[in-house]
Amino acid sequence: MRVGMALEPVARVSVALAAVALVASSSASAGDHDAHRLPDAPRARFEAPVPGSYELPTIDRVSQHYLLGTRGVPEPLLGLKDGELALISFVYLQCGEACPLATAMLHRLDGELAKDTALAKRVELVTVSFDPKRDTPVQMRALRKQLAPRGRWRFLTAANEAALRPVLADFGQDSVWIPGAANAPDSLRHVLKVFVVDANGAVRQIYSTGFLDVRLVLADLRTLLPSAP
Amino acid sequence: MRRTLRFALAMALAFGGSLVARADETCQSPYLPKIVGQEDFIYVWTLGIEGLGDGQDKLVTVGANPARSDYGQVVNSLSVGGRNEAHHAGFTDDRRYLWAGGLDTSIIFVFDVGSDPATPKLVRTITDFPEKTGWVGPHTFYPIPGRMLITGLSNANDKSGHTGYAEYNNDGTLVRTVPMPAGAEYGYDLRINANLNRMLSSSFTGHRNYMRKLSELLGDAEAMKNFGHTMVVWDFHARRALQTLEVPGAPLEVRWALAPDAEYAFTSTALTSKLWGVFRKSDGSFEAAEIGTIGDPAKVPLPVDISLSRDDKTLFVDTFMDGSVRVFDVSNPREAKQIYEQTIGSQVNMVSQSWDGKRLYFTSSLLGSWDGTGHPDEEFLKAYTWDGAKLTPTFAIDFIAEKLGRPHHMHFGQLGFWGLPESAGDAAAK
Repeated sequence: MRVGMALEPVARVSVALAAVALVASSSASAGDHDAHRLPDAPRARFEAPVPGSYELPTIDRVSQHYLLGTRGVPEPLLGLKDGELALISFVYLQCGEACPLATAMLHRLDGELAKDTALAKRVELVTVSFDPKRDTPVQMRALRKQLAPRGRWRFLTAANEAALRPVLADFGQDSVWIPGAANAPDSLRHVLKVFVVDANGAVRQIYSTGFLDVRLVLADLRTLLPSAP
Repeated sequence: MRRTLRFALAMALAFGGSLVARADETCQSPYLPKIVGQEDFIYVWTLGIEGLGDGQDKLVTVGANPARSDYGQVVNSLSVGGRNEAHHAGFTDDRRYLWAGGLDTSIIFVFDVGSDPATPKLVRTITDFPEKTGWVGPHTFYPIPGRMLITGLSNANDKSGHTGYAEYNNDGTLVRTVPMPAGAEYGYDLRINANLNRMLSSSFTGHRNYMRKLSELLGDAEAMKNFGHTMVVWDFHARRALQTLEVPGAPLEVRWALAPDAEYAFTSTALTSKLWGVFRKSDGSFEAAEIGTIGDPAKVPLPVDISLSRDDKTLFVDTFMDGSVRVFDVSNPREAKQIYEQTIGSQVNMVSQSWDGKRLYFTSSLLGSWDGTGHPDEEFLKAYTWDGAKLTPTFAIDFIAEKLGRPHHMHFGQLGFWGLPESAGDAAAK
């Protein structure tokens, strides 16, 4: 008997809809999908707190790591100057569940930051693949091209699993490969996390599916960078 | 690039859907991945009894999958070296570790339940909770991304019920403490509704009361004044108390309705034997309202744990003093109607249900000094199936006969969650 797996309902719906969309768009090319015309995310039923009206203490500290950029050249994971923040998200391209949620949020945030150039100069988005075997620098470059970032947004992967493992351990980012049933590919079970990290490696916020809300992220960034010139 | 196209399409659809996770096996944090299928193990945080077995608190692992040969059996028992008034426990946000607390010593034990789900390992002990936080009696362990929220029942200064909650990272480092607000200083449980960015906390009593014998406490009119009667509505993101609600009689477990558009929660009051609902009003504030009576309040049945079905329609309510579970139809959340009652066993306390609501597990034991008050001091885990109309027993474990102790909080483990076959480690599996 195959036991039930840990899938979040929202993610399962997203997977199902994605499958429908793939069929419906069988004649579409990647270029037909303009990410900038994506519909807005639904508004959660609360107002984001006023920036600066609350505290975001350091949760944890992470070290510098080096991963491969979209040209296959090693880059620092934390490519920040003092007074800058990174939003770091771990995803993999086979993921039909939570990863698209995180990337969708980052894409929308990228658009919002484009309206606030002072803040945008001090914030970098970083998408890191969980799946170095399949998500090569070429694949990550293709994802970048599709998303067409307006601001600072890097896409990284690792040379292999061994190179990625210490990064995940340092961030406390869980990941377990689940064998696929029958001919289905293996899937990676992980809790969706997006980390806000400063130039010194201090983790100041961790988002998961419950709070992937651009308004909250912007409030947090403005709380942590109150004097963006 | 087909793979990136699929990713982008899924991302596009993600924009059109809810960005909010739903809860775990009906009563867990919305940030915890859930087990939706058959659970293989039940982890039971158990209080040791002096002179029984090794007398120590222990994490007991019980087989729960009928397809395995260890079904209904004690699979593992991991003692922690003393008695701490073992009480509640909670998984980290990745479900790999189970944090478990002692209400008396305030020691927190962290078990690795992911590396070998059948054989948990004690990997960390946090012994300075009072010194670091100011609170004592770590009660609710509630995961949020990368962190654990822990409520205190009391404080290190005067051991009264004035307390707060603490936020630790998953490595066991304290991130911050948050005191309960003035006028609502007592604490007990807390639960988050991510859709609303609201956290709801409840209130009980301090170390000076919960470590006393219940018979003495009930006869001490002055001490009985020192119980909580409030619930607090918080802006969770800002960790800011917004509103205090008057809920007399020690409101204990908090259960938010799970439907994404639901805007209410339930609790039960230990001393007044009532069910209460907490409802969001049109202006965004909340109101508390009594929605039902549990047994005969004059007999002080002492409702303890409650468990809400995933469709928000059925609420199971355990009552300690008469050893019963009462099942309420709460499909109208403002009017709870009792639809079933069953005696489980003397001093039943905790109840946990599977995600599909078909299996329920009950344990005895409330507090070491309260057990055996006016009724036999039985200690058990009992498993049942629920068909929507009645409970049918499936297996039971006598924790006295097994020389284990007083079983309290239960959490589920599943081999498939970790990519393992359900027959793992079970050569005799059917």
